Amino acid sequence: MDSTADLSRTEISEHAGAVELAGIVKRYPNGHLAVDGINLRIAGGSYCCLLGPSGCGKTTMLRMIAGHENPTEGEICIDGTDVVGQPPRLRGTAMMFQNYALFPHLSVRDNVAFSLKVRGLSRTERFREADRVIEQVQLTALANRLPLQLSGGQQQRVALARAIITQPRLLLLDEPLSALDEFLRLQMRAELKEMQQRLGITFIHVTHTQLEAVAVADQVVVMSQGRVVQSSSARGIYTEPDSAYVARFMGGQNVLSGSLESVAGGIATLTGGYAVRLIGRAPPIGKNVEFAVRRDRVHLVQAGQPGTPGVNAVTGVVRAVEYQGIFVKATLIPDLGGAEFVIYIDEGEYFQAPVGIGARATGWWNIEEAHLLQAD
Amino acid sequence: MGPTMATLAVRRRDRSVPVAAILLALPLGVILFFFVVAPLISVVAVSFFRYDNFAVIPGFTLENYQSVLTSGLTVSLYLEMIKLAFLTWACTLVIGFCVAYFLVFHVRSKLIAIALFLLCTVPFWTSNIIRMISWLPLLGKQGVINQALMAVGVIHKPLQFLLYSDFSVVVSYVHLFTIFMIVPLFNAMSRIDPALFEAALDAGAGRFKTMKMVVLPMCKSGVVLGSVFVVTLVMGDFYVVKIMSGGGSASVVSAMVDDISTLLFPHAAASAVILLIVLTVVIAGILRLVDVRRELVGDR
Amino acid sequence: MAVTSINGGRPWTFYLLGGIFTLYVAFLYGPMVCIYVLSFQGEQGGLGFPMRGASMHWFEQLIEQGDTGDLIGAIARSLPLALLVMVVTVVISFAAGMAFRARFPGSGPLFYLVIAALVAPGYVLGIGIGLMFQLLGWDTNWYTSALGAQLSWTLPFGLLIMFAVFGRFNRSYEEAARDLGAFPLQTLRLVIVPILLPGVIAVALFGFTLSYDEFARTLQTVGSNNTVPIEIWSMTQNVTSPSIYALGTLTTALSFGVIGLSLGAIALIQRRRQGTLIK
Repeated sequence: MDSTADLSRTEISEHAGAVELAGIVKRYPNGHLAVDGINLRIAGGSYCCLLGPSGCGKTTMLRMIAGHENPTEGEICIDGTDVVGQPPRLRGTAMMFQNYALFPHLSVRDNVAFSLKVRGLSRTERFREADRVIEQVQLTALANRLPLQLSGGQQQRVALARAIITQPRLLLLDEPLSALDEFLRLQMRAELKEMQQRLGITFIHVTHTQLEAVAVADQVVVMSQGRVVQSSSARGIYTEPDSAYVARFMGGQNVLSGSLESVAGGIATLTGGYAVRLIGRAPPIGKNVEFAVRRDRVHLVQAGQPGTPGVNAVTGVVRAVEYQGIFVKATLIPDLGGAEFVIYIDEGEYFQAPVGIGARATGWWNIEEAHLLQAD
Repeated sequence: MGPTMATLAVRRRDRSVPVAAILLALPLGVILFFFVVAPLISVVAVSFFRYDNFAVIPGFTLENYQSVLTSGLTVSLYLEMIKLAFLTWACTLVIGFCVAYFLVFHVRSKLIAIALFLLCTVPFWTSNIIRMISWLPLLGKQGVINQALMAVGVIHKPLQFLLYSDFSVVVSYVHLFTIFMIVPLFNAMSRIDPALFEAALDAGAGRFKTMKMVVLPMCKSGVVLGSVFVVTLVMGDFYVVKIMSGGGSASVVSAMVDDISTLLFPHAAASAVILLIVLTVVIAGILRLVDVRRELVGDR
Repeated sequence: MAVTSINGGRPWTFYLLGGIFTLYVAFLYGPMVCIYVLSFQGEQGGLGFPMRGASMHWFEQLIEQGDTGDLIGAIARSLPLALLVMVVTVVISFAAGMAFRARFPGSGPLFYLVIAALVAPGYVLGIGIGLMFQLLGWDTNWYTSALGAQLSWTLPFGLLIMFAVFGRFNRSYEEAARDLGAFPLQTLRLVIVPILLPGVIAVALFGFTLSYDEFARTLQTVGSNNTVPIEIWSMTQNVTSPSIYALGTLTTALSFGVIGLSLGAIALIQRRRQGTLIK
């Protein structure tokens, strides 16, 4: 599935670090199919996130780009050259490992200078280079410490310094923030984004956290079961998911469905009282159609209030109300059955007319907020 | 296979033949083959040779086996060794279990637990013979123990059985070999997830019940490993039993030593083969109870 | 995960098991301490207590006298042999430990061979090696047949330790090294060996001490010249004076020295790298 259309850049950049994956398949000797045919383009100099649940193949994909594993089939082109079979050393890539893999027996400076040491640079030369990079990550005071004496955030900076000292065109990050606690995670992801913009090279960042991906990435690639499900800009993934899978996975949407009853003026009417704007050709009457509604664009009122719209609404019993500071998350069990319906209401708005657990309530939305989903 | 080795392997897309692994394991295989397998084969071969008063004559005869198997001495020696092995096994098991349990479950600081564990291990790194003879001044009629007991008034005449008896032999065995029981048990107990333990206690199981239901099953493999070591060490011994029994008892292997000293190699060889068969049967039986490779190498 | 009683204190089993543990340690070390004390037995003293004065007499006897056989010679053989065994054991165990990280053809049988080497009765193996050398027409010697015999005892220990060590080794260190451009030999030299150094020292410790004290397997394979354990053995047959205790004290002191050095080195490395001494 070729997914270049949604990139925010309208052309594939000729920058260093442009990646193109063609027909990548990875099958392990025991028969397990980790990657099942991936075609993907990543613009040079962009920040790309591979996003998906465990086992979706994102880490395998990353390792194949890095050269730590080889694909069973397919080509991996970096800046136009197929690198399959080349060792990591020759690819111009550098990897940041999940637990950083800082050499415990070496100081920060020795860790950072490692890649230069194996290339045969003299002690003075490589320490000079290392110190320069250590200064870039603001760890000069800690250059002589051993990794265990550093905090999680500091270790990440060392790992980063160690990776960029070789001036790679492509930096691969394997869940770099998973080992950190919540607070540190937010702080460090800003540092990663800033570093990427400063260096101007391509970052490919693997994560299973949706909000993290949209926070840092120019391009988000959602993966599932070894395939790319959707590749778009961060905003595009969140507001305009292609499929029910992505809509559910990203978490900001409710997915609803109904059979097509009629089509008029570009609007499809579905069973259940839903109306949604059509894109392209209308499916046959009777076909089951899915669409997504953003949770934060739904209005919540007590059931039976006068003036509540009858279409594009879900009525049901309130199962849970969660206070989340900025907003309140209300979960309804729809009368008509189906999945739970989730609404994010602005906090102030909620407390003006609170709806409690067990009460009957209706969530309604404007037709413009409904987004048609393609069949999976 | 480690990433380093993977690059040394012959590469075909993503399949590889572990050439490097085979090369690395080869020295071990060659040495062990030459110094374990080949010697054992030689022993088997020589067990079929004839001998006269001066030399060993290559040939084929079963008279060595006949002589060993029909000798009353052989039977009595085996019975003696089995008895000693059983007594030693029982003592090392009880002591080993208590020590391992104490170290794993009762010592609060992991650092101290390891220090105490090392304390138990250090004697293993010193000479067995010295450790054995160090019992002599203690157990004799004028030894420390007798003198102490008499001084305190518990006994009036020195205890005879302390030295040059089965007692002293077993004491020596236990002294030397308990560590072989402690280590596998310590290992097995350390692997028990503390959460299991706490869950059982939370659920109201008393400590004994918890021990029975959580600890004992997990220790099975440790017990089996330790037992294999202790049994083979006892049955293969020739000097402890000789010295500590004052020459009164002999063992299967000490009889072999006697044969060798009179150059009766084929006879000793036949005896050795029979011992090996007995040991193999015993060990095979014990090992059926646990997957040894998994225990020692870890899950892969 | 210490067991505690309901009030948070120690349960009675702690005292029971603690008592058993203390008795065991006393049981382990008591007799050895007696020997050390007795080796300082006065000139008129015998093999047992009471001590008749204290002197270095028996140590002198040991070093000068002929009744202890060729002690200096034995030490001159035991030490180099132990060092040789130590080095060979470290190299071969390390290599095999690396090999066993994968399943290679023959890894199963090799593993069982290792176990067999461990549990085979030492004396029988010694006979076997002696017979084999005889059949091949070779002389037995401390640096050939005895070396091999001792390796059959030390290599299994070395390998098992390497299993434990490699089992805890995080492979991402290797991948990181590779990613940074290191060739396999560089990774081995700069990353794997330094990180695993404590384990290597442990194997060296086992290699040295097990060789130095090895008796059963060496007896038949050492050729015409003795090692220290065999000297001790012949002393137990012939000598009826505390000089044998003196020998015991000396040789154990050497062992303690080696042990102390090794454990100290390991502790030092662990502390420096991991902040604590916990493995």
